[in-house]
Amino acid sequence: MTLFHFFNCAILTFGPHAVYYSATPLSEYDTLGTSVKAAVVYLATALVKLVCLATFLQVSETEVFDPYQEALKAMIGFIDVAGLYFALAQLTHRNISQNHKFQAVGLGWAFADSVLHRLAPLWVGARGLEFTWDYVLQGLEANANLVFTISLAALGSLMWLRKNKPKSLIPIIYTCAMIIATMPSIISYLRRVMGWHFPKVVGFELVTSLVMAVISCQLFVLCQRPSS
Amino acid sequence: MADDKKSKHRHRSIVFESMYPVLALMLILVACVELCDAATVVDVYRLIQYDISGVPFGSRFSSLNHHAASLSFQRGADLSRSVLILPLRELDIGFVQDYISQKQSLGGLLILLPQTFRPGNVGGGSVISETEGFRKLLAQLEKLLIHGNIPFPVYFAFENEETDAMLADVKKNDALGQQATATTGGYKLVISVSEPRKIASPTITNIQGWLPGSRADGDSNQLPTIAVVASYDTFGAAPALSVGSDSNGSGVVALLEVARLFSVLYSNPKTRGRYNILFALTSGGPYNYEGTQKWLKSLDQRMRESIDYAICLNSVGSWDNELLVHVSKPPDNAYIKQIFEGFSNVAEDLGFQVALKHKKINISNSRVAWEHEQFSRLRVTAATLSELSTPPELLESAGSLSDTRQLVSEDSIIKGVKLVAESLARHIYGHQGKDVKIFADDSSLAVNPFYVRSWLDLLSQTPRVAPFLSKNEPLIMALKKELEDYTAEVSVQHESLDGTFTFYDSTKASLNIYQVASVTFDLLLLLVLGSYLIVLFSFLVITTRGLDDLISLFRRPPSRKVKMA
Repeated sequence: MTLFHFFNCAILTFGPHAVYYSATPLSEYDTLGTSVKAAVVYLATALVKLVCLATFLQVSETEVFDPYQEALKAMIGFIDVAGLYFALAQLTHRNISQNHKFQAVGLGWAFADSVLHRLAPLWVGARGLEFTWDYVLQGLEANANLVFTISLAALGSLMWLRKNKPKSLIPIIYTCAMIIATMPSIISYLRRVMGWHFPKVVGFELVTSLVMAVISCQLFVLCQRPSS
Repeated sequence: MADDKKSKHRHRSIVFESMYPVLALMLILVACVELCDAATVVDVYRLIQYDISGVPFGSRFSSLNHHAASLSFQRGADLSRSVLILPLRELDIGFVQDYISQKQSLGGLLILLPQTFRPGNVGGGSVISETEGFRKLLAQLEKLLIHGNIPFPVYFAFENEETDAMLADVKKNDALGQQATATTGGYKLVISVSEPRKIASPTITNIQGWLPGSRADGDSNQLPTIAVVASYDTFGAAPALSVGSDSNGSGVVALLEVARLFSVLYSNPKTRGRYNILFALTSGGPYNYEGTQKWLKSLDQRMRESIDYAICLNSVGSWDNELLVHVSKPPDNAYIKQIFEGFSNVAEDLGFQVALKHKKINISNSRVAWEHEQFSRLRVTAATLSELSTPPELLESAGSLSDTRQLVSEDSIIKGVKLVAESLARHIYGHQGKDVKIFADDSSLAVNPFYVRSWLDLLSQTPRVAPFLSKNEPLIMALKKELEDYTAEVSVQHESLDGTFTFYDSTKASLNIYQVASVTFDLLLLLVLGSYLIVLFSFLVITTRGLDDLISLFRRPPSRKVKMA
């Protein structure tokens, strides 16, 4: 019954993306094109990131947390933000409100990320006879990642697309975006230095993603009020 | 420069590593290949499978794919789809006996042996007295398994942390009454091997070394010959573990050492005796000494007749005070008397005893219990030196699982070597009855304990069940080379094993231990995930479009029907 398990894990990993698309007005306005564009931008960004990682980073033989290396990694991680900026601000999207644009971009982005990073291990690992919780946790991580990406996209659209936002909120927006963008480094720190195990890390990710989602949602609402 | 190169190399490996997602995508395309990713892999050794004249014995199956169970389940439960794990430490021999005699079905049997019985494990392990108990139990179990026709796979493995952990877990579940099945999960044991096949034409290989004596004039063939013989192959419950340190590794070691001592004596023309010495390592020992018989028959008639007497060495590695000389001619026979007196004189000087034991041979019975009986059948005087007091049954005392290195003491072998070498030398040089020590401890002709130990260690790590040995097996080559070093002429004889015995291959396998989830768990997980997605869907619809939209989603189909109508 291992194919069954694979199926379960796949539902957990990719289901939320589909549900998000069909449940929100994204499906009504047919924003699939935007999502696909975002996914393509993600692919390109991932390629650039790989090249950067390969050129600037040393391979550590041991699983030691090297601050300099990690800082470098975080810097390279900001390429993601640049990619997101490109997808949000530079790319032309037809007939789409700002409100839906960031959701569609975030969704496409997160889905591409899940496919690229999680599908192959899932296919290889979850079909084996041996049972581990790893793939279920990995699915949960994909959920957290979806929430993070959409939050980041929301904050990004606030930063780059909305002109008349309240001045007092700007630092908060930037701080939140920073926190989300440095999330991979924070998680790497927790894992290697604090020695957290996978379940704990995933729990942390889920909680923080929800917190960040609530905060960015509030920020979005607050920014929308004066304009309307 | 070198550093630069190194870092370049590193960068390249980084590129490869970070290409992982891309590679992974490619992998999806190739993913039809079944991947083996067991958490634990354990080496296991299959119970021997063989036929005697078409009658099947041993374990008849080899592949295994069942859940694990332990003995703490409720009695009477159906075990036909489980692998029973039996540690030797807690083995209930009566239970196994019942299971085999009642021909109850069982998915498989995995017997866990203490590490002490691992071939090549020289010292340490558990306490000797404890081991002694295990030895007896193991011998009983082995006898039961070898002579039974067992319709399920039986494997032996050695205890380690992984198997211990698994066993503890399985026991815990079994004690709770949750027998491992597809619906409850647990451990799954998988051995994927092909059906065991018959070994097409098993060969037995005899190795013979010839040490010619010096002749005053005339042909050396006119000189009388003394033969020293030991059978080197083994038979045990698990062919891949059957090393037979005592039976008959000890005899082989003693023979090699005797050959070494006499090669020193014979290399000097002054001390070369007036006897030829023939050393033979024979195969097929467990099967009525078939190799010995074939070797004797292949010997030149004149050569065979020139054999004055033959000494067979069998199990001389674990005795204290008394060694037995087994003969098949009556003890008052002049030749037997002479041999025995030679032995007992030397034994007296060395401080132990030898006793004569006579057993008539029954020509009509095909069973040959001692190697010397093959000589006696061809009217060659022969005796077997052994610590065993009773003739072994067919396929017994031939290298069982419990016959490991720890059981054998080098001192016993050294004493045996001294006995044989000294009595031979006295016979050859005509010193019968005199107290002369040719192989004295401090002389250049002393028995070399290191030589004995190294050969004993080697043989105690090498399984030697004849049908599973190829013609050019490293062990056979090593024995041949050793005899070449000590004798003038070595010949190797390959014979096919008699058709009454048929053997089957796949003696060794790897056991994959998987911890599996149950179907119930998977169903439950599906349920949980499904409700999670539904809740998520409803939540998103309500927050983005409002409750009415959600309700209208469910109302739409009937309204359509109304429209249709």
